[in-house]
Amino acid sequence: MSVQEYLDKHMLSRKIEDAVNAAVRAKTSDPVLFIANHLKKAVSSVITKVKARQILDSRGIPTVEVDLHTNKGVFRASVPSGDSSGTYEAIELRDGDKGMYLGNSVAKAVKNINEKISEALIGMDPKLQGQIDQAMIDLDKTEKKSELGANAILAVSIAACKAGAAEKEVPLCKHLSDLSGRANMVLPVPAFTVLSGGKHASNTFAIQEIMILPIGASRFEEALQWGSETYHHLKAVISEKNGGLGCNVGEDGGLAPDISSLKEGLELVKEAINRTGYNDKIKIAIDIAATNFCLGTKYDLDIKSPNKSGQNFKSAEDMIDMYKEICNDYPIVSIEDPFDKEDWEHTKYFSSLGICQVVGDDLLMSNSKRVERAIQESSCNALLLKVNQIGTVTEAIEVVKMARDAQWGVVTSHRCGETEDSFISDLSVGLATGVIKAGAPCRGERTMKYNQLLRIEEELGDQAVYAGEDWKLSL
Amino acid sequence: MATITVVKARQIFDSRGNPTVEVDIHTSNGIKVTAAVPSGASTGIYEALELRDGGSDYLGKGVSKAVGNVNNIIGPALIGKDPTQQTAIDNFMVHELDGTQNEWGWCKQKLGANAILAVSLAVCKAGAVVSGIPLYKHIANLAGNPKIVLPVPAFNVINGGSHAGNKLAMQEFMILPVGAASFKEAMKMGVEVYHHLKSVIKKKYGQDATNVGDEGGFAPNIQENKEGLELLKTAIEKAGYTGKVVIGMDVAASEFYSEDKTYDLNFKEENNNGSQKISGDALKDLYKSFVAEYPIVSIEDPFDQDDWEHYAKMTTECGTEVQIVGDDLLVTNPKRVAKAIAEKSCNALLLKVNQIGSVTESIEAVKMSKKAGWGVMTSHRSGETEDTFIADLAVGLSTGQIKTGAPCRSERLAKYNQLLRIEEELGSEAIYAGVNFRKPVEPY
Repeated sequence: MSVQEYLDKHMLSRKIEDAVNAAVRAKTSDPVLFIANHLKKAVSSVITKVKARQILDSRGIPTVEVDLHTNKGVFRASVPSGDSSGTYEAIELRDGDKGMYLGNSVAKAVKNINEKISEALIGMDPKLQGQIDQAMIDLDKTEKKSELGANAILAVSIAACKAGAAEKEVPLCKHLSDLSGRANMVLPVPAFTVLSGGKHASNTFAIQEIMILPIGASRFEEALQWGSETYHHLKAVISEKNGGLGCNVGEDGGLAPDISSLKEGLELVKEAINRTGYNDKIKIAIDIAATNFCLGTKYDLDIKSPNKSGQNFKSAEDMIDMYKEICNDYPIVSIEDPFDKEDWEHTKYFSSLGICQVVGDDLLMSNSKRVERAIQESSCNALLLKVNQIGTVTEAIEVVKMARDAQWGVVTSHRCGETEDSFISDLSVGLATGVIKAGAPCRGERTMKYNQLLRIEEELGDQAVYAGEDWKLSL
Repeated sequence: MATITVVKARQIFDSRGNPTVEVDIHTSNGIKVTAAVPSGASTGIYEALELRDGGSDYLGKGVSKAVGNVNNIIGPALIGKDPTQQTAIDNFMVHELDGTQNEWGWCKQKLGANAILAVSLAVCKAGAVVSGIPLYKHIANLAGNPKIVLPVPAFNVINGGSHAGNKLAMQEFMILPVGAASFKEAMKMGVEVYHHLKSVIKKKYGQDATNVGDEGGFAPNIQENKEGLELLKTAIEKAGYTGKVVIGMDVAASEFYSEDKTYDLNFKEENNNGSQKISGDALKDLYKSFVAEYPIVSIEDPFDQDDWEHYAKMTTECGTEVQIVGDDLLVTNPKRVAKAIAEKSCNALLLKVNQIGSVTESIEAVKMSKKAGWGVMTSHRSGETEDTFIADLAVGLSTGQIKTGAPCRSERLAKYNQLLRIEEELGSEAIYAGVNFRKPVEPY
């Protein structure tokens, strides 16, 4: 190939001339730098390298981190992990070697990324999220992603999504909005975990979380202020009653004093809200996670207590009565997992009462088949979205669409094992889920998500819309 | 060379849900970097001053004034400057834009140490990116350090003092995997001991005791300090790392020092009758008995920040086998470090960048310490963010040690994860400080 043929083939003279002209028009102080950047932008990126490593999540448990390289830069993602991993969710691959991090290491998942997934994705366009996700699903071949590991696949899926956003030169939340096909973005109402129990905390409280929602705030920044202030007041309330021993925190940053009943917990929260003066503007939500204390058809509210009285076994009907009572006495707007994950009947009945939003977490596990069934049977009216239960960004978007088409609410959620990745913040804005549950305004892996929402709100400027009172219907 | 084009600050939240300052710096070649500053719970009276708003919003902890100082004063003044000129920029902010001083040096009272430090850290990151080298390499270059070393992590696993609601007077008990062959292995050892410790504590104190404090440590309802050491010994044994994982303590003795110059080990008791008050000499002897019985290699803040006398005694008597770390005593302040060196008050510096308030001054304090043959432990604060600057700082300055909490809570793990990445990046050139944590490199 001659010099002239090479120049013509790649239109080099034309491209360079365009870049020089752009620099002249801009009158930039550093034209060479400007030209280099201009030329770089003109090149459509492809994935050039996918490199994974094992890092540690917020519980000191191994998880997968990926660096995905394109011509435009390096994009990093790491995946969350739960401990109430349900039977219907995508499977995370762990090595099981007890001599390595007590069996929790993820060397195989890392290897799967560095070898199989990397080979399959190199050369692909990071903007084509659907194709990238499908390529990995095809490579895995199993329904629950057990071959490559959902932890391997999701880490790459998220990293590719970040790369796609950068390629389009738009914020990640905008890219997600585009991928979902919806026009508006909304900053979510945060559901701050303030009291922890269940599997997420070391206390005798069976119920998993009590959350506060600053629905009456005018913007996310104000909501975060209210949440932070309420949390600190709650810590003071607990300290006054327990003398400091109840002020350590559970896995998601919620305070974890010993509480003898749900009502006692709600009274503490109510007192904290009263002290802030935001009273009617802050509502309450509860994650019961009833599967964890269901024995047969009974619910043992003392399951974590070493001194069992045997008096706190409740039937599903008793639970419904309890929920009715607390919804009457407290400003509760949402209850998650009120019954065992297989108790479709009572969940449906409770939802039909219409006294609050009923969120399916363990019931649904972000599984599209179970969501479809729940929609058909009107079993609940909100989806708890946990991306690692599904395994790819594309599938997460699809399940949200299903829920939306059925007029359901959607709560974007963290897991109890999180990292410094704040992807779910952008996801909640881009998909306009209306609510995000990312833990307490405490522990860095939780505050990072909320901090990212502050940055997004700042970046959106006067186009920022906070879900607020419309938290259930961000359409 | 690229120059600074935008300096933008905002208020974000630290790991305790308290406001802190975050700064973005943009450069003319299209780079954007972000830095956020940490904040302490047990702040010494000689630290650079953190500017908070007061009032009722955020229970008085808002930082909108500090943010305003970055956006309105510091930011405009730095436009056009070269971010690789760290010393010049830091001196400009500290001496000219702020200019406030007290007997111990530049106190940063006017603009706020949180405002100045956030910008200083961001400038350092921008300088690294502009130079096309990793942050730790840039820091090594700024300091004139020819040999970088990965630090031994000092994992804070048991909390007492002002960091916990139990009766334990001593603030922290740490485990140091000095016997690991690499940082990666040190993480494995630390994590496994931590999880074994959780089981031991749960068995002995009930499940309430395995919730975590501000830095990810457990706060079991221990009645006596020695009990903490016993728990650690048991956990290390169960993990199989006896001899490879040793113990460090952060006493934070200023918290229980009284006007009558005694130390009250019972200071957290509500109806305290003062029956457990002891003299500085008695406290020194208590430490020596701990050292004789347990594999303790480091004791931080064994005495009050103004009890220079007992510090010197302790260092003279135990300084060879045990590192005596000055935190509240020194507050990373070069003048106090110089005094402590002259008086042989301690033999290690606890490096907290927000106590001194700029990268340049932090490097100066470290160089002084190393020239005096001291150890240096890079440290977090109890209120942290996802910023991992101190991980790169510990490597770039070859401090040999880093204290950034338990292997729990991601504002702590973010630092440890960054060290894993650095070690991976260095490949075969990675050197782990290990048993040489007190003196991993020659002074530079």
